[in-house]
Amino acid sequence: MPRRPHRSGWARRMDRRGLGFVTPFLIAFGLFMVAPLGYAIYTSLYTTRLIGGTTFAGAANYTQVFETGQFWTGVIRVIIFGAIQIPIMLAIAFFFATIFDLGVAKFGRLFRTIFFIPFAVPAVVAAVMWSFLLEPQFGPFTHAANAIGFHNVNFFSSSLMLPTIIVIVIWEWTGYNMVILYTALKSVPRDVVEAAILDDTPLWKIILRIKLPMVRPAIVMLVFLNVIGALQLFTEPLILSYFQPQAVSFAYTPTLYIYNTAIGNSQYNLSAAAAVVLGLVIVIISVVSLVFRRRRGEFA
Amino acid sequence: MSTSALAPPPETPSPPATSRRERRRRKRLEEQASTIPIELYGLRRGTVTAATVCCVLFALFTLVPIYWIVVNSTKTQANLFETFGFWFARPFVFFHNLSLLTQNVGGYGTYLQWLGNTALYAVLGGGGATALAAFAGYGFARFRFRGSRALFYLVIAALLVPITAITIPLYLTYAKAHLINSIWGMILPSLVSPVGVYLMRTYVEVSVPRELIDAARIDGAGEARIFFRVALPLMVPGVMTVLLLSVVLVWNNYFLPLVIFSKNNLYPLTVGIGLWAQRAQGSGNAQLFPMVVIGGLVTIVPLIILFLVLQRYWRGGLLLGSIAN
Repeated sequence: MPRRPHRSGWARRMDRRGLGFVTPFLIAFGLFMVAPLGYAIYTSLYTTRLIGGTTFAGAANYTQVFETGQFWTGVIRVIIFGAIQIPIMLAIAFFFATIFDLGVAKFGRLFRTIFFIPFAVPAVVAAVMWSFLLEPQFGPFTHAANAIGFHNVNFFSSSLMLPTIIVIVIWEWTGYNMVILYTALKSVPRDVVEAAILDDTPLWKIILRIKLPMVRPAIVMLVFLNVIGALQLFTEPLILSYFQPQAVSFAYTPTLYIYNTAIGNSQYNLSAAAAVVLGLVIVIISVVSLVFRRRRGEFA
Repeated sequence: MSTSALAPPPETPSPPATSRRERRRRKRLEEQASTIPIELYGLRRGTVTAATVCCVLFALFTLVPIYWIVVNSTKTQANLFETFGFWFARPFVFFHNLSLLTQNVGGYGTYLQWLGNTALYAVLGGGGATALAAFAGYGFARFRFRGSRALFYLVIAALLVPITAITIPLYLTYAKAHLINSIWGMILPSLVSPVGVYLMRTYVEVSVPRELIDAARIDGAGEARIFFRVALPLMVPGVMTVLLLSVVLVWNNYFLPLVIFSKNNLYPLTVGIGLWAQRAQGSGNAQLFPMVVIGGLVTIVPLIILFLVLQRYWRGGLLLGSIAN
């Protein structure tokens, strides 16, 4: 042990050194995260008019957001989107992660690499590719649907738009989720599984009763990150709307509403209020799901 | 830093591999050793076939768009719409399409410039974010100072903040500070990566022993020296993971540059291709659709190569997010 003649001096030195490592990040964090968020809240409390300038508006912008039906339609739409897309994607990802972990498929490493490729594709490019593939007149998938008996399918119609976006997002993100689950499964101790095998435990029980609970922290983290992403759905519907302008409305998702309100209509104060409300929705959904999990005893 | 980043992951102290093939062979053996032979599970015959078929089907789903974009990057605009999407058509204009990427067609901007911009933003933004996250993650994991826990939770809570709640006020601030159409308006916000800090802290917790740091202190090493000589070499897989994730995040970022840039010579690829896609529909410019397609192809190729090359460095690091709690 080192000699510590001045205990408080040592402690203070540690203090300063630790802060030294953290400070560069904290400066950037303060300037480009905390300050803009503060400014968003500040701006949301004011109103700017062409005549009369900027005046304090109190909760007026928030009242307007709460009374804007299409904003809430968008919120409900992204919640439905997440509630369908995330479970399907995680189920597929877990299925393949298990296959690769068990080593029951041939060419496992090759498939793992292939599945991960979409992570390298920007959402903009992914949406462009799928727009061409699913285009109602000339898209090859539309032709294929015709050929197998589904005539006049329009993947961009208002009823099929959300399922189409779900497929695109599943395409984009399954591989990434799969790799994380695979790595987590790999860390399950071998002797636990071997003991189960010696007990003649059937394979499905080993997977669902032993492995699945042990990778639950990874799944919880993935759910959390995917929910935050789903609630901010933006790029895919925007790019699809370039190809099919009538298919995606001004407020199709909350983020589209905020973007169009700010950049299209220059209503920055209203847009800031909507952004703050969206942030609160994200916080509420995260906290509720956390409490729900805790009640089921998973964090105990 | 660059020399240590090139060193092999330290937790596998295998003798220096003689050749590429030898390394591969050893890796395969290691993998086999860690996998329980499938016969032990008592699987029915046909399980391997069924699992492989499932993999093939999902691989097809994954590769169809990639295959489509490769095939269609060789087509003219007319053929793009009138010929079968999954096969080639005459005339073969791949190189002509490629040459369009060096021109400012229709005044919307030059792809080559966007490619350069994207690389600049990704290297400076992603690299800077990784450096800040490595410092901060180490600081949070191995030092206890007043408010360190509260600060860390604040950083994690930032994950819940919507990008719109950051980007719209940044845009308003930039307008006042004359940072609209400045590359720093893009690069500086990219330096903040709460996920990176979280991942680095978790990685330091499991891979840099406190005893090692204490021993170095007893030897009289300064804190900076301990970080660069003792801790950083142990953090390489984690650093590579965060670097890759940060670079991809900036490379693929769409919302921030879409909002803050109004001059098309500053666009990254995502915003440029988005603009082409938007204008191709209405303007009747006969070259924009092929440009969107070939532009998309050229955008994804560098990242796929980056992944394959860096694969062995970062794969181990992906686990780190999941050990938390």
